[in-house]
Amino acid sequence: MAEIKPDEKLDLTGVTCPQNVAQALLKLEIMETGSILEIIIDDGEPIQNVPPSIKVEGHKLLEQKKIGEKWILLVKKI
Amino acid sequence: MINIYLDNAATTEIDPEAIKVISFFQQLNTGNASSLHKRGVAAAKEIERARQIIAAKINASFKDLFFTSGGTESNNFAIKGIAFANREKGRHLITSKIEHPSVIATMEWLETQGFIVTYLPVDKEGFINPADVEKAINKKTILVSIMHANSEIGTIEPIQEIGMICKKRDIYFHTDACQSFTKVELNVKKQNVDIATLNAHKIHGPKGIGAIYIRKGVKIEPLLHGGGQENNLRSGTYNTGGIVGFGKAVEISNIHDSKRMSELRDYFIHNIQNVVDDVILNGAKKERLCNNINLIFKNVNGKKIFKKLNERSIFISTGSACSSAKLTPSHVLIAIGIKSQIAHEAVRISLSKWTTKEELDIVIQNIKKIIGEERNA
Repeated sequence: MAEIKPDEKLDLTGVTCPQNVAQALLKLEIMETGSILEIIIDDGEPIQNVPPSIKVEGHKLLEQKKIGEKWILLVKKI
Repeated sequence: MINIYLDNAATTEIDPEAIKVISFFQQLNTGNASSLHKRGVAAAKEIERARQIIAAKINASFKDLFFTSGGTESNNFAIKGIAFANREKGRHLITSKIEHPSVIATMEWLETQGFIVTYLPVDKEGFINPADVEKAINKKTILVSIMHANSEIGTIEPIQEIGMICKKRDIYFHTDACQSFTKVELNVKKQNVDIATLNAHKIHGPKGIGAIYIRKGVKIEPLLHGGGQENNLRSGTYNTGGIVGFGKAVEISNIHDSKRMSELRDYFIHNIQNVVDDVILNGAKKERLCNNINLIFKNVNGKKIFKKLNERSIFISTGSACSSAKLTPSHVLIAIGIKSQIAHEAVRISLSKWTTKEELDIVIQNIKKIIGEERNA
């Protein structure tokens, strides 16, 4: 499967909940429909909370992978 | 009917645009921003939108801006937070003699807790000499706290130079920017500011909301412990309405208002000195806040001018809002070398973006009349 290339990136490491959820949604709000956002978040509470909150707002989580203590999410704006 | 408000350094009237967003937001009945359901997230998004606007105004990352209840809390947080987090390194702090009471009283309290504080003098225009800051630094110094602009006399301090000195000496630099925010450029990166105090009600935003900028990497203890809001730096349920109103006030602020206020300030100073004899301008001649006028009318007590203008529904202040209720003369005026007896003669007139030339003409005529009556009494 070809690697997905994000249109924009948002580093939310060091940002706790709910600020990370809200910042991710704000970023998606200003992006074009269909474009892809790469979000970097911390392990622990952020990975528990950010993906479900993004999905409940209607966006599509294409991929999530752990690199060290961080997670990289690829989200498609719907 | 006359109703002229010229006490904007104490607080400003809230902008209808800010009221509109606060009102709209309150009617949405959003949840607690810390709750991760849809209503909570809706509130959190608006908070983050405001955070982005305010952080951008000072050239900071949204990650480094935290909401508080206002300037007093931010100043307490900055100073006590740095003092307690860094006391192993040293217990010496530096500030000036003309800071806001929320800085001076906090410093004095820290002195009772074993810290040592240097209160720097200022010159006759209220300027702190950066060389004095450098001289005062010793191996135990952990913080320098110098205001961006003075609330009483409007002097804009050389914070960039002071920030540079602190950076070179590896000491934290805090500035209280409550009076200057949105009126004078604050660029935390360019000006080497580690911590900055901001508030909303001086810029036509709501009361009870402020912010603190804390550069990433600064070692600081929180003042309020609890639910862990604001990245564990400031616990307490979000004042969502206040935050969105603060964001709006910053969003609509602009440099043209500052320029207009500067022109009106100069117009007032020039004209009052033309029609009344023996008027002294306190504070800086050039590097001065666009909305600040502080005058001494020789041989007339400022309280009498204040009272007679108040009777005519013209609202000003004597020295500073905090000093108005006290009989002791303003610590700022004393620090710039004005004798105690003379300091009681000072009045502060502070403009807003809504102040008009016509209003100032009315005030000039009224002051002329009052001074005439008082000097002939």
